[in-house]
Amino acid sequence: MGSITKGQAHFLLLKIHSLTGLVPIGLFLTFHLLVNSLRTVGVLPYQWSIDVINNLPFLIWIEIFFIYIPLLFHSFMGFYITQVAKMNAIRYRYPRNWMYVMQRLTGAVVFVFLIYHMGTTVVPKIWNGHHLFEAAPFLIEVMNQEFATWTGRIIYLVGILSATFHFANGLWAFCISWGIIIGPRAQRNASIVFMLFGGVLTVLGFATVLEFSLHPVDVEPTLKGAF
Amino acid sequence: MPEDKTIRLKIKRQDQPDSKAYWEEFDLPHKPRANVISCLMDIQMNPVTRQEKTVTPVVWESNCLEEVCGSCTMIINGKVRQACTALIDALPQPIVLEPLTKFPIVRDLQVDRTRMFENLKKVKAWIHIDGTYNIGEGPVIPEKQRAKAYLLSECMTCGCCLEACPQFTKNNNFVGASTISQVRLFNMHPTGAMESEERLETIMGDGGIADCGNAQVCVEVCPKKIPLTESIAEIGRETTLQLLKNLFLK
Ligand code: HEM
Ligand code: SF4
Ligand code: SF4
Ligand code: FES
Repeated sequence: MGSITKGQAHFLLLKIHSLTGLVPIGLFLTFHLLVNSLRTVGVLPYQWSIDVINNLPFLIWIEIFFIYIPLLFHSFMGFYITQVAKMNAIRYRYPRNWMYVMQRLTGAVVFVFLIYHMGTTVVPKIWNGHHLFEAAPFLIEVMNQEFATWTGRIIYLVGILSATFHFANGLWAFCISWGIIIGPRAQRNASIVFMLFGGVLTVLGFATVLEFSLHPVDVEPTLKGAF
Repeated sequence: MPEDKTIRLKIKRQDQPDSKAYWEEFDLPHKPRANVISCLMDIQMNPVTRQEKTVTPVVWESNCLEEVCGSCTMIINGKVRQACTALIDALPQPIVLEPLTKFPIVRDLQVDRTRMFENLKKVKAWIHIDGTYNIGEGPVIPEKQRAKAYLLSECMTCGCCLEACPQFTKNNNFVGASTISQVRLFNMHPTGAMESEERLETIMGDGGIADCGNAQVCVEVCPKKIPLTESIAEIGRETTLQLLKNLFLK
């Protein structure tokens, strides 16, 4: 392959935007909500899962290359795409046009939510030097506090719902952009299936919020003498 | 409210491509089976506004008068459609006429839709005929494929799908649903398929298929009921395969 023209670069950037929404970001979102919902099964499985993740080898590189860079890329491209278009759902009131608006709106909500979410979890974890086995008890304590107030709960409910809607509707758009589903009936069926999937993710997330809100727990340090 | 048997038209006018737009209202006597074009013709014969002021006649474009040429496309009561098939008796009054907003204005309701035709040229929306050599007779097309192609060939380049598309704006290069659908039409033709790769390469660039945001308004407003979202997904598939081919086979 020779050099790429400006037009080809434009196309490839949009394709990468579309792809990063699914892998790795969407995959991470699914995994993240699934693992967190272990909290509804018990505190211990939850604490272990956090420990496993925080003790993965090369964790920081995995986070940078599989989460932060794709997420930043997807977000900035997302804002760029939103900004070059001109929404018109007020004039052309069709369900799909509303979904198109919601896709952009929820993307922006998720972006703001993630700044808050990282600010209350990842930043203090790194700032206070809680690594490895110390991270789980520290993070669970943080989450206890997050869900102690209605403000905190509502922020999380809105953040989760925006992310699951954005992902579910995004999966549908992905399948059309890449030509995986084609006919109008296939497109409608796929939108139902993806919305059900989004519903399941939402239930997982909401159940975790509910569990934390109803039963905040004191956690033991994973290793004796830690904390 | 206009009195019974009177038609009131509220028209957005503009004298020059870059001058300021203004509104004028015209009251016309009701005629049976009138449509927006016949009303515009009445105004042309007697260009007097509701305020009894004589003005320049309103400029518009039309040709076929049977919704096959697309030239009379404008915004009628807020929705993009053809003026020749907009029957007065089916429209709530006052009838508001505006020019398309996504194309440069020539004058009043007349716009310059060159961009659409340039896009068709870009993607070679035609079937090559013999050049310096004979490319031979085309194969027989199966009936089902012919029926599908006929549906796509009904596009009259009217611009409804582009006017209503949130991704198609004056500031970007998006080719829009109609062009993408024409790529599909000519790629599915056995002789047209000889240039399919060129068409795909063009549509895999700035303003091409990846600029579609799947709002699917295009398919709702297309007066010819062309399955535009199916065409977009189909070209999505063809470009995905072309991308894989470019990455792994070339
Ligand atoms: C939880 C994090 C996120 C996930 C899982 C995610 C996932 C996705 C997916 C799967 C798509 C579909 C891609 C396609 O249309 O082919 C998508 C599209 C989109 N995303 Fe995200 N996204 C996330 C965060 C964001 C953020 C923070 C923004 C910033 C505004 C954003 C803006 C957009 C936009 C504008 C589109 C539509 C692109 C189009 O249809 O042309 N997303 N996203
Ligand atoms: S699907 Fe939406 S974004 Fe794509 S061409 Fe149609 S109206 Fe435009
Ligand atoms: S696809 Fe339909 S709306 Fe678009 S230009 Fe052709 S006929 Fe008009
Ligand atoms: S005049 Fe040809 S479509 Fe209306």
